[in-house]
Amino acid sequence: MEIKVVANVLKLNDEVAALNRRALAEAGVACLNIMGSPGCGKTALLEATLPRLRPALKIGVIAGDIATTRDAERLAHLCDGVTQINTGGSCHLDANQVRQGLANLDLHALDLVIIENVGNLICPVTFDLGQGAKMGLFSVPEGADKPAKHPRIVLEADLLVLTKTDLLPHVPFDKTIFDADLRSLRDDVTLIETSVVSGAGLDAWCQWVRRFVDERKGVQARQVSQSRTE
Amino acid sequence: MHEAAITQALIEQVRAAMPPGARLQRCAVQVGELEHLDPYVMQTIWQASTANTDLRGAELVIERVALRVRCGACAREFTPADRSIMLCPSCGSVKPQLLSGTGIILRSLEVERT
Ligand SMILES: Nc1nc2c(ncn2[C@@H]2O[C@H](COP(=O)(O)OP(=O)(O)O)[C@@H](O)[C@H]2O)c(=O)[nH]1
Ligand SMILES: [Mg+2]
Ligand SMILES: [Zn+2]
Ligand SMILES: [Zn+2]
Repeated sequence: MEIKVVANVLKLNDEVAALNRRALAEAGVACLNIMGSPGCGKTALLEATLPRLRPALKIGVIAGDIATTRDAERLAHLCDGVTQINTGGSCHLDANQVRQGLANLDLHALDLVIIENVGNLICPVTFDLGQGAKMGLFSVPEGADKPAKHPRIVLEADLLVLTKTDLLPHVPFDKTIFDADLRSLRDDVTLIETSVVSGAGLDAWCQWVRRFVDERKGVQARQVSQSRTE
Repeated sequence: MHEAAITQALIEQVRAAMPPGARLQRCAVQVGELEHLDPYVMQTIWQASTANTDLRGAELVIERVALRVRCGACAREFTPADRSIMLCPSCGSVKPQLLSGTGIILRSLEVERT
């Protein structure tokens, strides 16, 4: 006997992600999910820019890592709350882990939660965490072919960042190929080029984050007031 | 290795969908091309995780779902020839909206009453 089913295998994850999204909306907190390969500069970008974004924005960080609490230690003195999630070998964060992470933060005291996902460009994109925006990082030393090799992050990201641009003169990286590949996937996604060494692009990134928080809070306020009147 | 996490989630979902007292013979799942899931790895994990359980011996059938997009400028639907080139064949824009090619969906169970 054949039984027809149409069930999303990630249903459980997506349901918990929806709960996270609701908890964030009710507390009026924007949430950004940062994804990129190990060593592409996720933590370094936060270290360089959290001091500029604060104190105007109150920011909590959820640092995902396979083991160790090093990223959380690097960021602890730079934000308004940090929580480390050790995935114990798993190569991505899932919504349930983020739910626990959110429970460790005082959401009502925050404007923004930044999730540093586990270093990996492949499966973190599959797992909705409840974020309001996804950001993908590529770094210059990884090589110019990464957008073509990882199309999904390009297709789904709300923002892309190319990090370590100070290394452009020192490593073979064909920027023309990088741009052409990226624009063959999407011509409407914002790309910000940064370097924590030269400081290039850091203001542009901070601007994007401030605008994202403002817009997200507007959207959430409308959703929350709508769900109250329903 | 997210094949492990996905295959475990699949097994849980299969168990939840099984009618009481039935024995699973086959389970069909659709996997989007952009999920980057290796079907051989999924098969290995499926076999290892179902052996010596209520699901032992059941076959896993994995169907790959091709990428399909809609042009955000002119609404033309197309299958990109290369998954890294999303150029619309009608208007030349590169504003793809994903229609299929992502997602992992349990489609059917072949069961035997015991
Ligand atoms: N030259 C250069 N090195 C960088 C830059 N950003 C990060 N790094 C270095 O890259 C390494 C990995 O950075 P980290 O932030 O830990 O990467 P993560 O694994 O993505 O969090 C560290 O040694 C950083 O100092 C940059 O803009 N320029
Ligand atoms: Mg890090
Ligand atoms: Zn994974
Ligand atoms: Zn078109």
